[in-house]
Amino acid sequence: MKKLAVLLIALTLFCKPVYAVEPAIQFISDLADKIITNVLTSQDSEEKKINYFRKEFTQALDLKSIGQFVLGRYWKMATTEQRDAFLDAFMEFTTLTWADRFHMYNGQKIIFAGTRNAEGKQLYVDSKIMNDGTPVEVIWRVRQKGDSFKIIDIIVEGVSMAMSYRNEYTAFLQKNGGDVSKLTDELKTKAQNFQLTSSDKTKK
Amino acid sequence: MKQIKLIFLCGLLILGTGCTCRPTDPAELAVYEANNDPFEPTNRAVFEFNQSVDKAIIKPIAKGYRFVVPKWLRAAIYNFSLNLRQPVYFVNALLQGEPKQAGIITKRFFLNTFLGFWGTIDVAGDMKIPAYDNDFGQTLGVWGVPPGPFVMLPILGPSDVRDAVGYGVDTVAAPINWATDSIWPGFIYSRMALEGIDTRERALDFLDSLENSSTDYYATLRTMYQQNRQKKVNDNRSAPVNEETGEAEKASYEFDFPEYEDE
Repeated sequence: MKKLAVLLIALTLFCKPVYAVEPAIQFISDLADKIITNVLTSQDSEEKKINYFRKEFTQALDLKSIGQFVLGRYWKMATTEQRDAFLDAFMEFTTLTWADRFHMYNGQKIIFAGTRNAEGKQLYVDSKIMNDGTPVEVIWRVRQKGDSFKIIDIIVEGVSMAMSYRNEYTAFLQKNGGDVSKLTDELKTKAQNFQLTSSDKTKK
Repeated sequence: MKQIKLIFLCGLLILGTGCTCRPTDPAELAVYEANNDPFEPTNRAVFEFNQSVDKAIIKPIAKGYRFVVPKWLRAAIYNFSLNLRQPVYFVNALLQGEPKQAGIITKRFFLNTFLGFWGTIDVAGDMKIPAYDNDFGQTLGVWGVPPGPFVMLPILGPSDVRDAVGYGVDTVAAPINWATDSIWPGFIYSRMALEGIDTRERALDFLDSLENSSTDYYATLRTMYQQNRQKKVNDNRSAPVNEETGEAEKASYEFDFPEYEDE
């Protein structure tokens, strides 16, 4: 009987969290739901899925903050045109990088553990992707602007995407005389290769 | 066992030969220190070597393994080799002051060994018992040993001085390796080879995608390795404190992230 009571309390606690969910969690959870339904588990054509993903992803990210961060000291050295061209290429390239990994989705569910304050108006949203084995820890770093949120970093098992891109691009730019245009060209070339390989990729 | 020590020594010798000079420009210096990779030229050369070995031998074998061996059998092989590692994880969990994790590891080991046909079926996983993989590099980190410079090990891939030592200790200390040493001295190599192929097979899709999407694959692997290892160490450190400032140490991802302001 006691067990049943505990179970009932637990059920009421976990089944209807809607009324008390923190807005930042709501933001990430809505985004995840949309991507799972319309992209990862959708039967639509690859092109349609990528377009949907691109749209949602662009809206959810604070692209300028991310771009400024990943270019590090080279951001200041670049002209406005170079920055804009880089941001476009970077956005398209990251979209296609994720698109290349859509097929790895295997019905995993995402659960949210809570939020923590970062500096300024930034928050960490803690989540776990439930895998067959051990869950994968994913932290979403978001900034608040008025009532809305934007993602500035995604941290998977301790690996920050923003920091990883920054390291990688710094290495690339060091070898290429700090010329951001060269990085932009490289990203464009890589994006094209992605499209080529994904078009002849057989569904697994 | 002797050969392993030899390979290890050779690795350390190679390291001593190529060093980058410390840059004087402050911005360059900050990057240099963050990368923690003073042996970069040597590491990159080893990485080139690893990449060519991978393309010519390891990756084709891993692909063949995926093609020839059915999925259920691959899963059984993976579970079996993972189960053989549990005693080492158990000892490391204790050394890290995590008796609770050690208990879960024990439970997992006995369940899988006796109910899961000598570890080939992950019974514990089906029961949602979490898996831990405490290694000696992590133990040293929990004890406060810094990672030391980044090291690209031949064949084995990204590591750092601390983790390379940890890997050596774990390999030499593994009970299954002693137990088989006198009966079948080649066991340790057969095991390493099979585990290597299995690991490579499971990473095929992800590493392909990562390599395709990187403008500097070496730099990408280096930073991902370093960040992930720091997380693993921090997970088992009780409230790590910065020794210089006395403040709680931040996780590697808790860096300052300035927001873009319209000019």
